[in-house]
Amino acid sequence: MDALDALGNPTRREILNELRRAPLPVGALATRFDVSRPAISRHLRVLMDVGLVSTEEHGTQNVYAVRVQGFAVVREYIDSFWDVALSQLAALAQE
Amino acid sequence: MIAKSVVLACSAERAFALFTEHAGKWWPRERRHTGDAASVIRIEASGRFFERAHDGVEVELGAVRVFEPAQRLILDWYPGTGATFPTRVEVTFEPVAGGTQVTVVHETGAARPDLFSDNAAGYRRSWDQVFASLAAYAAAPCVDY
Repeated sequence: MDALDALGNPTRREILNELRRAPLPVGALATRFDVSRPAISRHLRVLMDVGLVSTEEHGTQNVYAVRVQGFAVVREYIDSFWDVALSQLAALAQE
Repeated sequence: MIAKSVVLACSAERAFALFTEHAGKWWPRERRHTGDAASVIRIEASGRFFERAHDGVEVELGAVRVFEPAQRLILDWYPGTGATFPTRVEVTFEPVAGGTQVTVVHETGAARPDLFSDNAAGYRRSWDQVFASLAAYAAAPCVDY
């Protein structure tokens, strides 16, 4: 799973939409969705794993926030995709 | 926006055919969606843009918006953001000394309003910056970028 795969899920995109308005703990975030809190936690875990979301401890709870730097991962993904693709295309043209 | 180009040692007609009919030969192996590293990938005048594994399983990778042989392609690109909010890829083929320059411009397209839709100008900007900074890579030498 990478950042683009993570963005492929509509619930995760909605989570990012909510978090970019304001950082939230998982409980407050879950009340805004029809899916269960454990499901939201799993989506947050995925978003953290690919670097799109970060977490910070506030007292007894973790508050989640969008990690803007994480979108560089998306850039690198697309960038390296076309690096490889175009060099392979060039090799193909010489066959 | 990301822009990259490469010069192919062939005519624009052949470059276009390689890009569309033989996409399975240049598509990075580790980025296949069927799990078959030798899958067939085709970009067709019919509008289909798909991957087909040897067991016959097919995955739609996008949709062809413009198909102008030897000149231009515009694709809706599903990998990453899905069919509802595709990114957009424009590929142009231009005769140059030594062959054909193929230029790929990859933009957020419909994916952006979904991710950064309303009044969060800051995040909208950051998304723009992500793609704008890609343009810097486009200044690199011909083949290897």
